Amino acid sequence: MTYQPKGLELGTTLYSLTTQFHGREYTFKELVRKVAAEGIGPGLEVVGFQSIKGFPVVSDQFKDEFLQLMDETNLVPSCLGINADIRINPDKPMSENESVEYHIRQLEAAAKLKFPLVRYQYPAGPSVIEKLVPTAERLNVKLGLEIHAPHHTQHPDVMAYREMYDRVNSPMLGFIPDFGSTARTVPPSFFEAQRIQGCPEDLIKLAQDIWHQDGDPYERRNIYIEQARKRGFEDRLIMSLVIIFGLFNRVAPESWAEIMHQVIHIHGKFFDFDDDGNEIAVDYERVLPVFVDGGFNGFMSSEYEGHMWNDADGFDKIKRHHTLARRILTSLKGEGNE
Amino acid sequence: MMDHRAVSDNGLILTTSGVKIDVRLPWYRTLPLSVVEFLGVEIDGKAFDLEKLDFELEGKFMPLTSLRPKTNVWWYVLDSGFIHIDSPDFEKGKSYSVSVTVSFKPPYIQGLNRIIKTTKSLVAH
Repeated sequence: MTYQPKGLELGTTLYSLTTQFHGREYTFKELVRKVAAEGIGPGLEVVGFQSIKGFPVVSDQFKDEFLQLMDETNLVPSCLGINADIRINPDKPMSENESVEYHIRQLEAAAKLKFPLVRYQYPAGPSVIEKLVPTAERLNVKLGLEIHAPHHTQHPDVMAYREMYDRVNSPMLGFIPDFGSTARTVPPSFFEAQRIQGCPEDLIKLAQDIWHQDGDPYERRNIYIEQARKRGFEDRLIMSLVIIFGLFNRVAPESWAEIMHQVIHIHGKFFDFDDDGNEIAVDYERVLPVFVDGGFNGFMSSEYEGHMWNDADGFDKIKRHHTLARRILTSLKGEGNE
Repeated sequence: MMDHRAVSDNGLILTTSGVKIDVRLPWYRTLPLSVVEFLGVEIDGKAFDLEKLDFELEGKFMPLTSLRPKTNVWWYVLDSGFIHIDSPDFEKGKSYSVSVTVSFKPPYIQGLNRIIKTTKSLVAH
């Protein structure tokens, strides 16, 4: 029987451990066993194209070994990350039918491994996802659109999905909020990595100041580039900072309440902690109550993404994230009992 | 961080006809070869003509510059590829500065072209 999470339950995505996996420090099985041993389950999220050779083909041998591993570790498959690879041929994007077929193969992989839902990506397009609903129903695998910065609940790309969801009205369609979309600042470790590469302090300050302003992220990115060029910074250094406008948004965490009835999974994005164990870029004290008060039942995968710019120990990071989340969830339960 | 991962540690290996460089896809996930392009291979500052080099993946050899049509060949994220250089100039036990520049376009992110150059000092073995 499928595991039914009660309230907001914790878990890990193996994507957080990209540094350790890519560096061949741990095999897939070793990573999974260590997730269990470190107590950073019970939810386990996997990115198909990262963890499974030959994906979306999943061999019977891999399936048997994976399901045995879940039994052995008491971890619960929470979400399979799938990809909207519409530009495998960079010169000719997939047709809609090709994209539907490409997604179906990945949904079948999810069903084979007993994942209850997939994380899909917005370039798939609402029309392709609508066509997948009968397959999702047949396989009993839900489709979750990841809402990742620079997107947010009111972004036109997301609104197109919300309108399709309202029209189709299927329980197989949902959303996966990524907390990088509702951040309060840029992770300090990102700028630290840029300083090591020779990025000057006043350029970092310019980027930070413009990131904190209001308005469309890509418009702010262009303002940043223009002002930095006017001030004579090298283009190489200017461009090394532009990804902050795409990776982190400063939309209000309360905005997630708008789509709460359709949230099926969470990416608990995180990077750095202060001395009190709080996440610096994402205000967990503010964002978690939105989901608890909203009655969310499902998993939050701890999703560390600092591996994009440093080689910190992913396990240590996830343990800190779980400690923080438990502290907040416990205090919220306490409030509820009073 | 992937900047130091395009060339593997201890990744300069003598062959019967020269050397091969152990290279990795510097990205978190498997990609089709059609989105991968090698832009430069240098040893001790000498740039090689890419047209004359071969790429080896899972035991199969192909011209290094022929990856674009290979939409059905996937480079698994944990597998090494090898760039083969035919040259008698390399000595076992000698150290060389090896640079590889690779670009890739993740097929789900329109407009993103990641370019990563890794330079390592490697002893031929």
